[in-house]
Amino acid sequence: MKILISILMTITFIFASDATIEVIKKIDSLPSIAVEDGSTHKDETLKMKFFKSLVADLNVISLFNVDRRKFNNDFDTNEVDVENKNINYVLKYNLSENNGPGFSVEMKIIKNNEVILRKNYKISNHKKYMFVAHTIAYEVNNFMGGPSIEWIKRKVIFSRVVAPLKSEIVIADYTLSYQHVVVKGGFNLFPKWSSQKQNGFYYTSLNETKPTLKHVDTRSAKITSLISSEGMMTCSDVNANGTKLLLTMAPKGQPDIYLYDVKTKKVKRVTKYKGIDVSGQFMGNDRIVFVSNRLGYPNIFSKGLYTNDIEQMVYYGKSNASCTANGEYIVYKARESSNAFSRNTFNLHIISTKTDFIRRLTASGVNEFPRFSNDGDAVIFIKNYKNQSSIGIIRLNHNKNYLFPLKYGKVQAMDW
Amino acid sequence: MKKVIISSVAVALLLLTGCSDSPSPSDSSINQSKNASLVENVSDDSVSVIDDSVNIIAENDNVIADSSEMNMASLEKKMSSIHFAFDEYSIDSQMQSKISQSAKILNSVANRFIIKLEGNCDEWGSDEYNFALGLKRADAVKKALIAEGVKTNRITMVSYGESNPTCSDKSQDCWAKNRRVDFKLLP
Repeated sequence: MKILISILMTITFIFASDATIEVIKKIDSLPSIAVEDGSTHKDETLKMKFFKSLVADLNVISLFNVDRRKFNNDFDTNEVDVENKNINYVLKYNLSENNGPGFSVEMKIIKNNEVILRKNYKISNHKKYMFVAHTIAYEVNNFMGGPSIEWIKRKVIFSRVVAPLKSEIVIADYTLSYQHVVVKGGFNLFPKWSSQKQNGFYYTSLNETKPTLKHVDTRSAKITSLISSEGMMTCSDVNANGTKLLLTMAPKGQPDIYLYDVKTKKVKRVTKYKGIDVSGQFMGNDRIVFVSNRLGYPNIFSKGLYTNDIEQMVYYGKSNASCTANGEYIVYKARESSNAFSRNTFNLHIISTKTDFIRRLTASGVNEFPRFSNDGDAVIFIKNYKNQSSIGIIRLNHNKNYLFPLKYGKVQAMDW
Repeated sequence: MKKVIISSVAVALLLLTGCSDSPSPSDSSINQSKNASLVENVSDDSVSVIDDSVNIIAENDNVIADSSEMNMASLEKKMSSIHFAFDEYSIDSQMQSKISQSAKILNSVANRFIIKLEGNCDEWGSDEYNFALGLKRADAVKKALIAEGVKTNRITMVSYGESNPTCSDKSQDCWAKNRRVDFKLLP
């Protein structure tokens, strides 16, 4: 018997997988890439900022071991720096001046002394240099066959509270390196892109007699008031083609979810509970997920848009007050301390609606307002920790988190 | 007092003159070279929302407006904020007696004003649920006022969530102070 147990244990130890070794192996198996700067532009500050942005983006796409050192090398030659002779890939670029404002970038990737990818870019505003870096990373990712990372090119819009009852709405890139205040003055919250093209957005204005939903066309700067409601008025979600909105309104002080048709301007009430129903998110064409306290505490439910069937989606935790959905997955915010007399921790969790899969995504602080990217690759969220307000991004399939802190103010809501 | 009013008008006029903002040119007017792709085509338009709370006081009305505002401000101070327990929007007996006192004021010396109930929350969460919680608190106070004889059509409500704190300490005392409904009067 002893011999048999020993043999069985030996077999187990031989074939057991070590998770730590597995992770290290994967990192070691990523191809290496170095970046060589052959820029002719005279602005040294711009060149350094662009380099740092590009290296950071190449790291985020998670396809390479990125050498963060800066190499200067002539762009026109396909020869790489002597230190990069054994690197799998070398990305060379030339940032040069235009005749007008802005700059141009030529980029090529070299492998085994051969050019395997060549692209040119141009931008008319040098302050938006990071968008060129993001686009390069996006196209390198596509070329290498990586999963969709379209969010890296998209603009983020967020509201920032700067003082009691004072806020700004800001358009930024995902790293917050570029920030442009588009709505200033008064108290304006809950911005939401109105289309995939990101050429307009909705927001809630609390400067009028009643909370009012407004739309801004970023091309013409035209502002339109759409609908008002006493007490509360937010645009929680926009459907894929921008024709329908999920609103939270409270016409008689009763917060419920409504469906708004952008073209006909007709409103249809979706929920009718006497407590709190908020934060509707489209889940496909005919269902929503939302937050409700119909069990006595905030939790996540789903409902047919045109039917009355309601289903509880989360069976963990006692306070789940925010959610986002993509395909079969829901990410929600859970309060993990239930004490009014201590600092509360809120963490994000992901569940599948088809299996019993659940995973915690964050570990500490106040993590809230999750939003899936359109391609489901990543979740953006707000993190407040030790008086620092930040925007966070989680790449779900790579198990990587990135944090981008604000220099001032507190993020209230956002979209991408 | 007149000098103060005239100075305020002058400052307000200066502010409004500086407020108008013409949108900057769109990026799409830049010519694109044959082989380069234009990365960024978004206009740099800056949209300025005029702060509607700026009041322009006409010289002739300055005395009457000033007096009315002072009256509203002093009456507001007599109406205590109503506080709530963590995650709750029900009114306890202590708060009920405060509401009764405020209702007496609203039904007598303040009976010509509109009442704006502002619901607020502590700092734990900026999402919609927290705003709705603030609104339910305001609605609970509204119902209590109606029960005390205040007319429904005099009462409006708004929720500010966590964005209008009276204090910013990280303490249970401060959090309790922020879970509240405030009374504001409108002409």
